[in-house]
Amino acid sequence: MDTPERGRKLSVFSPASPQSKRIRLFLPAPMTKGLSRAFRFLEILQPGLLAICLGAATVSQIPVLGQDTPDYFRQNCISCHTIGGGRLTGPDLKDVSKRQSREWLVDFMMNPRAVIDSGDDYARKIFEESRNVPMPTPPGITKDRAEKLLDLIEAESLLEESQFRGMQISTAPFTDADRLSGRNIFLGVQRLQAGGTACISCHSMHDAPALGGGQLGPDLTNVYERLKGRAALSAWLVAPGTATMQPIFRNHPLSSEEINSLAAYFESTTAERPANSSTGRVAFLLSGLAGAVLGVFFLDAIWNRRFHSVRRSLVEANTSRGES
Amino acid sequence: MNIRSQVSMVFHLDKCIGCHTCSIACKNIWTDRKGAEYMWWNNVETKPGTGYPTKWEDQEQYHGGWEKNGDQPINIKSTGKARVVPNIFHNPYMPSMDDYYEPWTYDYQNLFNAKEGSDQPVAKPISMITGEDIAVEAGPNWDDDLGGSEIYAANDPNLDGLSEQQRLQLSSVERLVFFYLPRICNHCLNPCCVASCPSGALYKRGEDGIVLIDQKKCRAWRSCVAACPYKKTYFNWFTGKSEKCILCFPRLETGQAPACFHSCVGRIRYLGVLLYDADRLEEVANLPDEELVEGHRSLILNPHDPEIVRKAQSAGIPDGVIESAQQSPVYKFVMDWKIALPPHIEYRTLPMLFYVPPMSPVMADFEQGLASHQMEGLFHGIDQSRVPMKYFANLFGGGHEGVVRYAMGKQLAVRWHRRAETVGDVDRATADKFLREADCTIEEAEAIYKLTSLCTFEERFVIPPMYREEAIEMIREPHEQRAEAGFGFVGGPRRGL
Repeated sequence: MDTPERGRKLSVFSPASPQSKRIRLFLPAPMTKGLSRAFRFLEILQPGLLAICLGAATVSQIPVLGQDTPDYFRQNCISCHTIGGGRLTGPDLKDVSKRQSREWLVDFMMNPRAVIDSGDDYARKIFEESRNVPMPTPPGITKDRAEKLLDLIEAESLLEESQFRGMQISTAPFTDADRLSGRNIFLGVQRLQAGGTACISCHSMHDAPALGGGQLGPDLTNVYERLKGRAALSAWLVAPGTATMQPIFRNHPLSSEEINSLAAYFESTTAERPANSSTGRVAFLLSGLAGAVLGVFFLDAIWNRRFHSVRRSLVEANTSRGES
Repeated sequence: MNIRSQVSMVFHLDKCIGCHTCSIACKNIWTDRKGAEYMWWNNVETKPGTGYPTKWEDQEQYHGGWEKNGDQPINIKSTGKARVVPNIFHNPYMPSMDDYYEPWTYDYQNLFNAKEGSDQPVAKPISMITGEDIAVEAGPNWDDDLGGSEIYAANDPNLDGLSEQQRLQLSSVERLVFFYLPRICNHCLNPCCVASCPSGALYKRGEDGIVLIDQKKCRAWRSCVAACPYKKTYFNWFTGKSEKCILCFPRLETGQAPACFHSCVGRIRYLGVLLYDADRLEEVANLPDEELVEGHRSLILNPHDPEIVRKAQSAGIPDGVIESAQQSPVYKFVMDWKIALPPHIEYRTLPMLFYVPPMSPVMADFEQGLASHQMEGLFHGIDQSRVPMKYFANLFGGGHEGVVRYAMGKQLAVRWHRRAETVGDVDRATADKFLREADCTIEEAEAIYKLTSLCTFEERFVIPPMYREEAIEMIREPHEQRAEAGFGFVGGPRRGL
């Protein structure tokens, strides 16, 4: 959807092309003598374990392993923050080191919740500005990494146009076409341009057809309200930040048109009540059972000769001839 | 030319008395085990009859062997790469337990342990599968000697193409007839069981052509059971592996005849090596039906031909085996005299067990309570046999009478010749006429007579040296095993991987 008429532009980050990921695996060295025996046993299994761990790592794509600081920032920060692009869920980080001391910032990044709970005034203020959404502890954060992130933010703040300024999202009013297209994207009727997974695979919706949507993620009927509006919702969709969604959409980001359509659709469903997931589950179970029973009859029909006996049929044919 | 050697067999049906000694010898050695109770690697059938398993020759039922559709190359009838998967839980063309028979034993202990009562205790039949009482309804030779039975003889698939009158004759008293057909694995040149195995567990031994099932590789697909048109692979329900006749290779390797051969009281069995050309197998297996018997013969090479001997030597066949092939009684029956024929060549597996078709009693007429024989002269002609020629053609000629007629005629001529020699009530000229008609010389007739009637143990079984110590080098390096000599950890076949 490329509408020629666009209103004010909202800036939201666009994730840059994903860097190559290298997954490093270590088998920890045994700490004590008692453990060492167990580890010696593990060593025998090491090739197998490595294979299993590699498999697990590839599946879950642990986000901690951002290769360098910009990469880390891209993967963990941009769904809530911009640098010079205005606030999203979290504040714009441009010149953040001028607003607070470096020491305070590092403490906050190491454990945001603790600083907020300690009653720190500034922390409370940004907490409230963020509509009481606390900043989650960045995965795998260390003091060293926090320092590097601050260095990055400072360097980017000096630039005219930071690479983390975000992408342009239309603010034109939603149209029916947007909503329809959003629904199609949600249901997977319309493919995502970058090949991402359709929402319904993991999420449900108040009017999800047949067996309901997926149960892995939350019901999205009221997500527009939950994420406090279009801007934050769009930012979320640019780079979904949860451990489950991140690996799926990192390599298959949504386009700005798709984000706009989805936002339109989610806005339209705000007034509805979420689907009752228990009825969905019962329907799923029942249809599964019905399918199994049908399958049994189907296989029975295919293989109905399996109890056929050549000899017995000869004997029976002969006996019945004798009787008649 | 790719010359290989094959241990081959001839069963002379005219001598079989249907005593089942072969079956028992085999049973005692090989299949007296849990899960193998129902198996008869060697069995003796009464023909006409339905055999074991019931109607095994009816490939409409069992889909065994190869099928040829028009000009297409032959295909396995029962399965294929694609058909294995949809039938993964149930192979539709398997004989059921009832088609073999439910094996049973008797509760002999009851004769000793029964509580005192008013009745004599009996030994009830007990199923060897379930352990429960069973009412015995069928056995592997249930129709033994039951020529003319309405259930068994009348349903013999080889009766195809017989006139209504001929069929009626086969089931009427005073006219009915039966003969015996002992069967073991044919160790075919183009074995369908080997071709069908999805696990590659079946193989044909390179040095002697014995078809075997690797008990470690078998994954219980049972494709071989369905594919073998002779139904000579069996599934062991206890070990979860298929099994079959191994031609007593441990006995062969030590110079002894297989147990069924050794124990045969009628001395009907002959064993010897044949050399054949493996390059032409595909071509011959694809021949039209009527050319199959001749084509099969054309595969077998003359071990007396110096050119063949030279080629066999360069193909790595040991001199001992070539010498053995020159002595082979099978070569004489199949190639020199052409009186031994492969069973059901139309299945296109190219069996390497050949049968000399039996002479049968003369056709009788039964009128007003008196039996009279229609016959001119001393022996009746082959067309007056009680077993119609068409029946033998179905069994041994792929449906075509020519080769069977030749084999029977020659046997008849030998009888005339010997009658003239020993009794003398037939004049020489008559005997010579029959010999001429049967394409047989006096020397040949004498040789047939000798190998049929006066054969010694050594003449019947010309067992080639097996050279196992060399054959094993194809799959194993003996020097590497030097320090590990001994029986090792020999494990029995077990269900699963």
